[in-house]
Amino acid sequence: MISFRYREKRTVIHKLNPFCKLAWVASVFVLALVLNNPIFLLLLFLSTLLLVITAKVWREWTSFMKYAIYISLTIVVVNTLVSYQGTHVLAEAPFTIPVMGTPTITLEAIIYGMAMSIRLLAIISAFAILTLTVNPDDLMLAMIKMRLPYKSVLVTALSTRFVPTLISDVERIADVQRSRGLELDKCSLPKRIKRSASVIIPLLSNSLDRTVQIAEAMESRAFGSGAKRTFYKDIKMSRMDIVTVIAGFAPSVLGIVMLILGFGDYQYYPTLGRMDLSGPEWTMLPILALVVSSVVFLAFLKRGVDLD
Amino acid sequence: MKKSRLFLALIFVIGVAAFVVPAVSSGSSNGAVNWGLAATILVILVIVAFFFEFEAAAISSKEVALVAMLGTISAILRVPFAALPSVQPSTYLVICSGYVFGPVAGFMVGALTALVSNFFLGQGPWTPYQMLAWGLLGVLAAYFRRLNPGRAGLIIFGIVGGYLYGWIINTWYWTSFIYPLTFRTFLTYQLTSIWFDTFHAIGNAVFLGFFGMKTIAILERFRKRFSWRLSSEPGGAQLPSTLSAAGGEQQPL
Repeated sequence: MISFRYREKRTVIHKLNPFCKLAWVASVFVLALVLNNPIFLLLLFLSTLLLVITAKVWREWTSFMKYAIYISLTIVVVNTLVSYQGTHVLAEAPFTIPVMGTPTITLEAIIYGMAMSIRLLAIISAFAILTLTVNPDDLMLAMIKMRLPYKSVLVTALSTRFVPTLISDVERIADVQRSRGLELDKCSLPKRIKRSASVIIPLLSNSLDRTVQIAEAMESRAFGSGAKRTFYKDIKMSRMDIVTVIAGFAPSVLGIVMLILGFGDYQYYPTLGRMDLSGPEWTMLPILALVVSSVVFLAFLKRGVDLD
Repeated sequence: MKKSRLFLALIFVIGVAAFVVPAVSSGSSNGAVNWGLAATILVILVIVAFFFEFEAAAISSKEVALVAMLGTISAILRVPFAALPSVQPSTYLVICSGYVFGPVAGFMVGALTALVSNFFLGQGPWTPYQMLAWGLLGVLAAYFRRLNPGRAGLIIFGIVGGYLYGWIINTWYWTSFIYPLTFRTFLTYQLTSIWFDTFHAIGNAVFLGFFGMKTIAILERFRKRFSWRLSSEPGGAQLPSTLSAAGGEQQPL
């Protein structure tokens, strides 16, 4: 059946503070959207791989990437088909569609599409690392600590907690219906949809009855009393943790700096710019890779500090 | 409350800017505005604004528990029904929840569906867009109720909702990865997902048609069980569902 994508593993990345990983993913997201140059985008994508390897989530990560590759192909295709701009015309339709113009395939559009798919791969890779290495409970705790509306986070935590319970409910109800002779698996799709009611409707009334119990359990723990709640599990912030969080934010700061300085930009339209990088841009490449992957080095350093 | 006002003001300003900036700036290239980033920030702000709304609306533990449970059901129904892409009962349940329990609960159930199920399917930059898309379907369903739609009305709502959902999700890909951002490229990008959206729409129509009314009847009964009022104490000791803005008679205990 279904289960969390997250798996408990003993790697330095898994042991990193959830705030640090949240900051890092948000930063990579911003950086990926700010950068335009395909070389920089590719480097950003490759830098995220270092975390994937350190966290030993390679196999799970590939399953994310299958989905990513499918979307990146659509991005290349759509860009090629919809963008009629660019001076290197590869093909031109012999007809003109009113309003739309003359369909044209240009080299610029293809290159742009490819650069954008690298951007997408970098973003999805970063989010895959977040999903695969942060315990959802820790994420929820981090949300509360970040002063997000408490009840909304609580509702999310409750909801996530009840997923396994309800899945076993679904299986039980389906078994009951099967034992009564209802074919649920080997029939045509319309029938399957129609018969899914025999699982969904009992599930609904069953679990809504349960909400009364949950509400009572919450009230017995003084929910809504206004008193400040306590936490069984807390996120401890050592000095080292604060350093890692700052390192997590570093890529977005770098992104803004690069945006101001004009690095990482690339001209696609109307004519492709030159691919070779200028001197300062060459020096920017290792800095970018270093800043993005600095959390890995800090993670190892943190383990050393924790052991001491 | 002040925080939610602040958020609404912020959303309003960004929303207005989104219309004004392209009109003012003449730059034809990617321009000064990063639309992918701007759209994502706007979407997240809207979601947080709804969260603040829920904070004020959900007074008792019952409302919190109810929304959590509906969100869980909807989230798990999204996962295993993968015979055809996009055919899943989640959307129908979000619509029914909004229809019965009002806009705020509808939004929360929709947002939870995306957020919780993505812990299993994978979080990504699409999560806020899915939260918003499903949430808005919940909100719209609550207002749709005022038109007194029958079964046929719900089916039409499901079909329109399926396409609306696809449009909102596509916005993220369109703003972040497509150039130029014109109406023409927007429409073309919508076409790439037309099959998924159509399956989604048909799925919604079938689920709502087959057992939408029955589900609404069940939820309606629970709403009445949850929102009782002690008639002996006028105005006092009440556990009203502020969430059930849809109205309806309140049962005296």
